[in-house]
Amino acid sequence: MRWLRFIVGLLIALTLHSLLDSFFPNALAFFNPYVILVVYYSMGGNVFGAIIAGVVAGLVQDSFSGAIFGLHAFSMTVCAYIVAYVNSRLELRGTLAFGACLGGAVIVNELVIYILVNILLKQRIEMFEQGLLVKTIFTLLFGMLVYHLLTLFLREEPIEATKRPAGW
Amino acid sequence: MATEVIPRRPTLLLIVVLSLLFVLMSLSSRTAYIGQTRTLFERTVMTVFSPVPKAVNWVGGSVDDMYHGYLDMRRAVNENLELKRKIATTTAENLKLRQSESDLRRLRSLLGYSEQFNMNTSLAQAIMLDTSGRFKSVIIDRGSAAGVEVNDAVVNANGLIGRVILTTNDLAKVQLVTDNNCSVGALTERSRRQGVVRGDGAGGAQMHDVGALADVLPGDRVLTAGIDGVYPKGIPIGVITRAAQGANLFKQITVKPTVDFSSIEEVIIIHTRKIPEPVVRYTP
Repeated sequence: MRWLRFIVGLLIALTLHSLLDSFFPNALAFFNPYVILVVYYSMGGNVFGAIIAGVVAGLVQDSFSGAIFGLHAFSMTVCAYIVAYVNSRLELRGTLAFGACLGGAVIVNELVIYILVNILLKQRIEMFEQGLLVKTIFTLLFGMLVYHLLTLFLREEPIEATKRPAGW
Repeated sequence: MATEVIPRRPTLLLIVVLSLLFVLMSLSSRTAYIGQTRTLFERTVMTVFSPVPKAVNWVGGSVDDMYHGYLDMRRAVNENLELKRKIATTTAENLKLRQSESDLRRLRSLLGYSEQFNMNTSLAQAIMLDTSGRFKSVIIDRGSAAGVEVNDAVVNANGLIGRVILTTNDLAKVQLVTDNNCSVGALTERSRRQGVVRGDGAGGAQMHDVGALADVLPGDRVLTAGIDGVYPKGIPIGVITRAAQGANLFKQITVKPTVDFSSIEEVIIIHTRKIPEPVVRYTP
């Protein structure tokens, strides 16, 4: 059931991605729906599931964007692992906690991408700091709104809310 | 055993996954074109999820079409209203221009016509027309202040209208040639036979005093003879429509006036030279 919900979320994220690409080209430079999905899933604290979710969501994003194939999968997996690991220890709940995780995840995601692009392509991302700031703000606002609505109207807890052992 | 180990060793899984992804990225980054679908893996992911962007594209395209269709329709409706408004304005302007053109043509012909007289002429506008009763008259908007006098001839481009019988300071009454009491010295254009044209009070006129043997035929044009001291010579009066043998020595001739009295607008007043009263009354 939790995977089904993840797939639905992934389809919604992809739909959003396609819509933004169609009507507002380059909108994904300011907003990343896949990170919201991965963080939302990873808030459950299941590290194993979070890694898989990060890989899948990242690969889907890679498939439909012009980046190196695997770039977003890599960064998203790192984010998912960190969020899931933190939640397996602290059991963070609530919109603010989600916002904090999401903000951190966006920053980590962008930093990982920045480093990988530097290593693999020997390129610098133009206006990285400004882009990071804008992307963090917009993704944070939208993600917190979605999370708040989900918990308010659907009484939805993060997917895989039942904590499972981190297994260190 | 493995299924129990992997969940309990997520860090190991993370390292494996990241290593595999790094290799995948390294391979991808070496290809010539980054955005191109290169690997079987990437193609597979794209194929699995391709219905989503396609559906979004289709829905977006449909919505876009509907929206633009609606906008186009609104624009067309507004344009249609605007064009209708313009047509109404243009039609009104066109009517005005036609009217002006018609006025211009008429005034030009009047002007050209008036220039053939050696006497002073002036233009006037018919402001009242009474052709319904037995006494046919028309009121014009020029009077004694404009030099109009009794017995001035009044014509238009088509021919003789009548003579001035009364003047005020700024108006004048004109007796039409179709009036029962109007007499005009006339001659036929072709055979130059003279006579007197009198109105019959019913919109036509009769030519009197033409001998029974005179060469006068239907279709002959009748002009003013210039012998009555009122009308200059050569103004068209009408066309003979009937020339029958009368009961006595004269013919019965019916004349149809060349002027359409029901549509008189502008007229020319010819200020004829009046014969002094003593000369008229003088009897040797």
